[in-house]
Amino acid sequence: MKKRVKGIVWGVILVVLLLYPWLFGIYFTNVFVTFAIFALFAVSYNLLLGYTGLFSFGHAMFFGAGGYATALALTHIKGCPLLVALLFGFLGAVALALLLSPIVARLAHSAFAMLHLAFSMLLYTLALKLRGITGGEDGIGGFPIPPFHIPGVVSVDMTDPLNFYYFAMAVLGGSLWIAWFLTKTPFGQIIVSVRDNAKRVDYLGFKVPHTKAIIYALSCGFAGIAGSIYAMFQDLISASALGIAQSFAPIVMTMVGGVIAFSGPIWGAGIFALIEELTTRYTERVQLVEGLILIIVILFFPGGFVHLLAVVKGKWLEFMRGKGSGLITGTWFGKKSRKKTTEGNA
Amino acid sequence: MRHAGPEALFYEEDKQMDATTAMYVAQGIHGLAYGMVLFLVASGLTLIFGMMGILNVAHTAFFMLAAYFCYQIVAWTGNFWLALLVAPIATAVVGVLVERFLLRRIHALGLLFELTLTIGVMFGIMEGVKVFWGTENLPLAVPALLEGLVNIGGMEYPIYRLFIIGLSLVVLGFLAFILYKTRLGMVVRAAVADADMVNALGINVPRLFMFVFGVGTWLAGMAGVTIAPILTVFPGLADQMGMDAFIVVIVGGFGSLGGALLVALISGLLSSYGVQFVSQLAPVLMFIFMAIVLAIKPTGLFGEREG
Repeated sequence: MKKRVKGIVWGVILVVLLLYPWLFGIYFTNVFVTFAIFALFAVSYNLLLGYTGLFSFGHAMFFGAGGYATALALTHIKGCPLLVALLFGFLGAVALALLLSPIVARLAHSAFAMLHLAFSMLLYTLALKLRGITGGEDGIGGFPIPPFHIPGVVSVDMTDPLNFYYFAMAVLGGSLWIAWFLTKTPFGQIIVSVRDNAKRVDYLGFKVPHTKAIIYALSCGFAGIAGSIYAMFQDLISASALGIAQSFAPIVMTMVGGVIAFSGPIWGAGIFALIEELTTRYTERVQLVEGLILIIVILFFPGGFVHLLAVVKGKWLEFMRGKGSGLITGTWFGKKSRKKTTEGNA
Repeated sequence: MRHAGPEALFYEEDKQMDATTAMYVAQGIHGLAYGMVLFLVASGLTLIFGMMGILNVAHTAFFMLAAYFCYQIVAWTGNFWLALLVAPIATAVVGVLVERFLLRRIHALGLLFELTLTIGVMFGIMEGVKVFWGTENLPLAVPALLEGLVNIGGMEYPIYRLFIIGLSLVVLGFLAFILYKTRLGMVVRAAVADADMVNALGINVPRLFMFVFGVGTWLAGMAGVTIAPILTVFPGLADQMGMDAFIVVIVGGFGSLGGALLVALISGLLSSYGVQFVSQLAPVLMFIFMAIVLAIKPTGLFGEREG
């Protein structure tokens, strides 16, 4: 019965997604694509923060790496197919992650967070300075968006926003599904154990730095896909995609949506898309509203929107025993365990 | 001493040596002044981090807030000295309120939530000042007493920068005196080492946290007020300083005041001489320095524990 309800809900969501451009028009379709890009970006971030307990201040550099890799491929390779450009974005981010992982996989907590801040600022500065490659402040723009082309079968023009919407939804939705599936595999269980008790995972015979490096590369790869779609969607990638504000976005979205659930960052991205849509009409100070909402959420619902949902549904107790229990007992980001004596049996 | 450098070409032939030396000294003073201000910001950050374990992202927002307070007080009274006294204290009051009513409530949840809360506070302050003061650059005059240059040993020095160095040294001395010569300082140092144990000894650790947070924001406020006449007051004030202050704290080692001082001075000199010699690379130098230090010693130069 429950399975059937779930199936119906997913079916309805799928139908709404398919009909969305006709229901809401082209403006809100573009808003929705932006939301989906940031949803994937935030989910990729939560793979690090919520699942592995690694707090990073520089996730935007992988978003930007993906965007720049795609933009460079489309600019310089003549007739570069769409999916190859996307692959470039993914691989660009993964390559950057693999380059950094020997250093960062040994670190945790503040050192991890701050080293990312440093590297992302380094890349940001380089993107501004290396005008010949990155175009400086202007970034890279106006590159051709190739059609989605399968030889002999189909060729779809991607400059049409409607077609691009379906392409972006397929890629982003597929990536989200893969990320979700990843958390359900045994590997997904190990990364959660790394968050909660890295020493124990080590004793069990798993290699903690290697595990961290793998999830790190995967998470960055998803961020790269988000950046790649972003670059193609805007037909522009500039240094601001690498900046500190871009790094704060997934943090804030994850915290507001709920760090303890897979769906949290998606809710968060949705909430922020909504806030921006509503507040930009009345005020320029969108960030002020966002900051206040962040403060209120953390003070009253540290589990984010998912927490709020549980309270509204009256399932608060179950929530605190299940997923939400991590809020109190989990060893988040350098939090000292409150139960030192029971740590051994935990 | 004769320094041969490309910039020597720009000076008159007969004055070449003096001019080059003067340039070095001037850049050195700039670097030291910036380094000392950086230290004021970083010392507050590292104190708060060492004691409460919070990476206070909003710290440089407090720094900027103090500059705005200073501007407002000067606009009202026309007295820079009054602003120098009052603005940091007003900033500290805001800091204490944030600690007491926001951070303390979620302390039990752990660092992640405290850190993200400070991100929210940072957004609030950064955007809040734009609501009150607008987004344009607000000029702030150097007080008449400190204007101009002073001649020491045949060399001209800008007085205000010397004043910054002197003031920072006074604050540093004051801080060192409190920390190492008083009972209060002893308790603070003990709490940095092990807050739980200090709590068990019957000391009101939450109140101590509030106090340290206040002192930390006061230090940021001092830095903000002293730098305001040089850089003018504008919303982007916190960005550059914030990044540098975080780097100083990390590279110096979390919770280490001595490390922060050393790295702040290195950072200041590196940026001022860096602009002189490798201007293209200057902004990157500090990041490279940081990456090298952290890759070798993840806890920073003088840090004993990972944050």
